[in-house]
Amino acid sequence: MVAQQIINAVSLGGVYALLALGLAIVFSIVGLINFAHGELMTVSGYALLASLFLGFPFPAAVLVAVACGALAAVAMERVAFRPMRGASITSLLLTSFAVSSLLKVVFQNGVSARPQAIAMPSWMTGAFSLGDFTIGVGPTISIVVSVLALIALEVFLRRSVTGTAMRAAAEDFDVVRLLGIPASRIIATAFLLSGLLAGLAAMLWVAQRASVDPLMGFTPVLKAFIAAVVGGLGSLPGAVAGGFLLGVIEVFLQATLPAAAAPYRDAIVLSGVIAVLLVRPQGLIPAVRVQRS
Amino acid sequence: MLAVEALKIRYGEVEAVRRVDLSVGGGEIIALVGANGAGKSSTLGAIAGLVAPAAGRIVFDGTDITGKPPETISRRGVSLVPEGRRIFASLSVAENLRLGGAMHLAAPEAKAREQEMLDLFPILRRYHRIKGGNLSGGEQQMLAIARALMAKPRLILLDEPSLGLAPRMIDTVFDLIAGLRRNGLTVLLVEQNVALALEIADRATVLANGEAVLAGTAKELATSDLVRQAYLGA
Repeated sequence: MVAQQIINAVSLGGVYALLALGLAIVFSIVGLINFAHGELMTVSGYALLASLFLGFPFPAAVLVAVACGALAAVAMERVAFRPMRGASITSLLLTSFAVSSLLKVVFQNGVSARPQAIAMPSWMTGAFSLGDFTIGVGPTISIVVSVLALIALEVFLRRSVTGTAMRAAAEDFDVVRLLGIPASRIIATAFLLSGLLAGLAAMLWVAQRASVDPLMGFTPVLKAFIAAVVGGLGSLPGAVAGGFLLGVIEVFLQATLPAAAAPYRDAIVLSGVIAVLLVRPQGLIPAVRVQRS
Repeated sequence: MLAVEALKIRYGEVEAVRRVDLSVGGGEIIALVGANGAGKSSTLGAIAGLVAPAAGRIVFDGTDITGKPPETISRRGVSLVPEGRRIFASLSVAENLRLGGAMHLAAPEAKAREQEMLDLFPILRRYHRIKGGNLSGGEQQMLAIARALMAKPRLILLDEPSLGLAPRMIDTVFDLIAGLRRNGLTVLLVEQNVALALEIADRATVLANGEAVLAGTAKELATSDLVRQAYLGA
């Protein structure tokens, strides 16, 4: 029972971490909280639905779905945010709200406001025994995928030129451009990565629920936003730490709160967030940003 | 090599540069001197593409680069070492250097260039794996210059390289700048320390309140009454 709860906590935390990372990557480069990040999840979810409907085998459908999330993010930047470059943060925020609302309406009216069931392969819903413990396959896959994604991202940011330039741009974007590295490439890559992460998170989220709906991205991305703020907005290690922390706290409260207190779970979590921010206003692992004169 | 004609720069209502004309020939060291707020940094910013001029023309090697984005100007062969150095504090010395050449050189060429830079700045070899933020001010200035040189620029713009450095370190940095010219590089130097700038420059232009008020060889300026009274404290 305890082992299963730990697996659940890490699995949920992993999804929050992927989403929070996506928000943090874009924020660190462009200074924008992309409120349409949840809709990237929705796009991926519906792409999975469509691919399966078209008869794609399950693994291929997942690849298509994740790729659609990434492409949607790049398209979002190209169509909605690039024309707004240089605009105030408020204008960018409003733009991201507009994109979010627009996509919600497209899915509500274009498909249906009601959830659509997605049949998960039977092996994903099973469980396996490890000694005395019974462990769900779904959460285990979720943990493995999250960890692999985090490692791949870390390798990209450390080893590749574009990744290094992105870490540099988070500190001082102008100087990156002075070195001849095109701003568009850095920004497009940031959105591409955030879309990939949202697509992966959507797959893990859908796998646990076996359905998609037009609002499916809202709750997880709200949680991811909280995780990113707790971790230190714009800090990538902070986003990961915040994501896992939030997952663990949620599952812990879920398991231990008496039934009468259960409705207050989110209130208790958010009180914890306020407490953290009172003690560490820059978050757990603050972002590095050079002060300019 | 570089010609700046009737440059004007505005930040909202404030006119930072009213009129600056400037010409830099290949292999020269040209100093742009003047008091704080005279418009020196803004002029460099406009040449590098960080600031869009309100009027005027900037021509580099026969091509009009006025208002072009900084990445384009950098790839044409102009590198700016910004005021305050602005090295990437969370990146290692090696990573700072690699980004400098990333868009200009193919991988093997970039490796060779990095070795040249480490030979030119031995201190950077010692701190190769250290984060830029942990270097001293002088070491950061070396790193900022080396990072700009990674691109093998033909024109290097230096904004206040002596700022905040210990006197001994200033000598080292200025010896180095004089050495760059011997390797065929053209240098446009902005400096508040006028005496220092005139020591290594061939020619200089004095800016006051956003206008070029005096220009001539470094020797002429060092002996002119205006410069002696206003900047050299004679």
